[in-house]
Amino acid sequence: MALEQLSDVVQRCQALPSDSYTAEDHDVFTIAGRSCIEEGNSAQVLSIVLDEKNQDMVRCMGWNLLPPLIPVLLKKEDKNLPQCLAIFNHLIQTCRPKELLIGLLEQLEQDDPDTIAESLHLLLSPLQKVLLCLGSRKPSSLGMTLSSVLDQVAKLPLPRTKEQEEDDVFSLCRCCTDLTDFVRPFVDEARQNLLTTKTHSEDIDKTTAGQDEMEDELATELLKFCMKTLSHPLLEVQLRDPDTLPVSPLRMFATEILETLRAIGESLPSLVYQPLLRRKQVPGFLEEEVRYPKESLASLAHLVFVHHLAADTFPSVFSPVFSLRCTMEHILLLLSRTEDFRIQKGLELYEKSLVRLEDGSLPADLLEIKTFLTVPQNLVKVMTICPRHDLRTRGLKVFQLSVDKFDTEAKYRFFQYMLKTSNHSGVEGYIIKNIKNQIDIALQPGNSSTWFEGVHLLPLLRKVLILPDGPETDLLQYLDRIMESLNLLRYLVIRDKVTENQTGIWTELYKIEDSFMKPLRVGINMSRAHYEREMHNTMEAKKKKKAKEEESVLSVSVGDEKLPSMTSESQIQALHSALHTFDMIESVLVRIEELVQVKDDP
Amino acid sequence: LKMAAEPTREWSDEQLKSDDLPKKDVIKFIQDNAAHSFLNEHKLLGNIKNVAKTAKKEQLIIAYNQLFESKRFKGTDPVEAVTEQVKAVKIEEKPKEVKTEVVDEGPPKYTKSVLKKGDKTNFPKKGDTVSCWYTGTLEDGTVFDTNIPTAARKKKQTKPLSFKVGMGRVIRGWDEGLLTMSKGETARLEIEPEWAYGKKGLPDSKIPPNAKLIFEVELVAVD
Repeated sequence: MALEQLSDVVQRCQALPSDSYTAEDHDVFTIAGRSCIEEGNSAQVLSIVLDEKNQDMVRCMGWNLLPPLIPVLLKKEDKNLPQCLAIFNHLIQTCRPKELLIGLLEQLEQDDPDTIAESLHLLLSPLQKVLLCLGSRKPSSLGMTLSSVLDQVAKLPLPRTKEQEEDDVFSLCRCCTDLTDFVRPFVDEARQNLLTTKTHSEDIDKTTAGQDEMEDELATELLKFCMKTLSHPLLEVQLRDPDTLPVSPLRMFATEILETLRAIGESLPSLVYQPLLRRKQVPGFLEEEVRYPKESLASLAHLVFVHHLAADTFPSVFSPVFSLRCTMEHILLLLSRTEDFRIQKGLELYEKSLVRLEDGSLPADLLEIKTFLTVPQNLVKVMTICPRHDLRTRGLKVFQLSVDKFDTEAKYRFFQYMLKTSNHSGVEGYIIKNIKNQIDIALQPGNSSTWFEGVHLLPLLRKVLILPDGPETDLLQYLDRIMESLNLLRYLVIRDKVTENQTGIWTELYKIEDSFMKPLRVGINMSRAHYEREMHNTMEAKKKKKAKEEESVLSVSVGDEKLPSMTSESQIQALHSALHTFDMIESVLVRIEELVQVKDDP
Repeated sequence: LKMAAEPTREWSDEQLKSDDLPKKDVIKFIQDNAAHSFLNEHKLLGNIKNVAKTAKKEQLIIAYNQLFESKRFKGTDPVEAVTEQVKAVKIEEKPKEVKTEVVDEGPPKYTKSVLKKGDKTNFPKKGDTVSCWYTGTLEDGTVFDTNIPTAARKKKQTKPLSFKVGMGRVIRGWDEGLLTMSKGETARLEIEPEWAYGKKGLPDSKIPPNAKLIFEVELVAVD
């Protein structure tokens, strides 16, 4: 039936000029044609489409047949495949590019990953052919196409391991390779345009304003494309180095993106160092920040500095401190969110930037730059909250590395800042340990510094040797900090002879006794008394109610499961542990008191 | 001191406005005939091509007319009179090592040899954007970096390296060295590691720790 309708309308239109086809003709052709293909009569449709007499009609209306063709082509085992392929190829050759573009783009939209990958693989090549036929509309159409393609790619699952990249089960790698092949002619054209623009500018009186605009549009669309891919998938996948994975489609893809940036005239140093360079406003239809999204630039910095892509074209003249100042912005961005892959890349980038610097080479005025304070704050979050143990450990390693690179004054100011702002006992303890190390270095012959002995040291010490809440301080919560403070104090009274008093500790000691040691002593006693009472109560309760479940004041749920209340045994164990901790704190305090006594008594 | 005869107007106003007269020609005329201070005020110093890019035809016409009104031709600047005499003396300009300059800023951490003289007029100041072609080698001759394209066809694709000089963006040897160069100069900078990449070198690159670096730098433009 459909075949009859199709033949009828075709016959009728053969006699007419193409501009007098009616809307009804279009509709009948479309509906009948599609039905024929769906019903498996593609051979007949093929002969109609190939017929010389019908070419005007095919040119006008043929593109409407795309929707049923594509599913057949994707299915591959369909017996109508050869005919459908022939129809498809003929349509691509014959129909108008603008309409074909619309038809093809519609078919890109798929939902499940397998179909997405297959349809991209099928359609990128015809899309390329069609786009190359467009004249002045090419750049904007290319932009539209790339945007749709990348939206589809974004739906594909990403390989997470080297093996997954090799297996490429969801075809992401193949899509990236297909994408590189797809953009290649446009990149080549942009590269050519760049050459001719340069020639033009040397011959300044030739006005080719219109031509230049279109060339710039092409470059702009390709820039948009590169920036998007830098965010996704490139920021989210972990690239493997050549020793780990000699043939890596993802690494190839990343390399090609960098090459494309170069082809359109973008300078890699300008891009990665952009945070500090005041770029000229580019007149065009994209604003600066939209044109160069921060996330894409951070991804680019990671590719250049951690994976060394395009390393041989990156100039080796920039100062490492300047490089660090720029990359701190990228690092801040990467460490600002909690996704593992971003944190890992942020840490890698930070580490690479720091390793180039000599220890003690960064001056204190760098701390006036905001990122030099906000990055460590983010690093603290990683070190303390990140669920992944390896990232927490790495975070700590990078944190210490960053401390090592500061010069003495910068370290001093940094420690002050961190003590004031980190609000975490473990981090504070770590800083205090660093302070002790610096004092130790300063006390060594030939190393004296104004910052970790003498005048400046005391204000810092006063911030260390203090109990946050006086005698009521929760000793268990602040344990790390308190232990490190006591260790520091003990170190000082041993190392600094009372006769030399290089650190000033001996003249300060009476104040420290009042503000630190005595309240601590009181706190220990109070805590111990409290926990001993708790212990007693728990043991009494345990004796009385052996069988009955203890009613506790709190309950804790994880997920949807309520955790079992602590058993009496566990409670008692915890209390023992707390009491043991107080003993430990007290032992150091007592030792310090002894040492001080000895020095006091002649 | 005998002054040259005053230059005469080559073009009428109509001729000036015509599209047949390229900007380049007007600029050349003004550069050839105007005093240095005039050129400076009207932003007409430098490579003709660059000036042509930035100056509009209208501005050039105005400048051209002002030149004849003010009569600020070459030789009318007080200093220029002497400069003209000095220029008259013949100087050998062979592109070989002319002299080795040891820059006197405390302990010298780099040396400069001029391979080709520049215009000795356009020296970059701190904060100016400079553009250079360069090649960097290690003491053993290994080339670790260059922005000079090898194939002639690629020359048009590459741009010279541009950056703001004297701001600590590049290694110190470059910052200090480039401030002593004038436009068009090619120099050989031998930089001690302390003013290059120091004890660490540049990890993951050809530059090892404690490397002395040798750069041949051509200062192409100063903005």
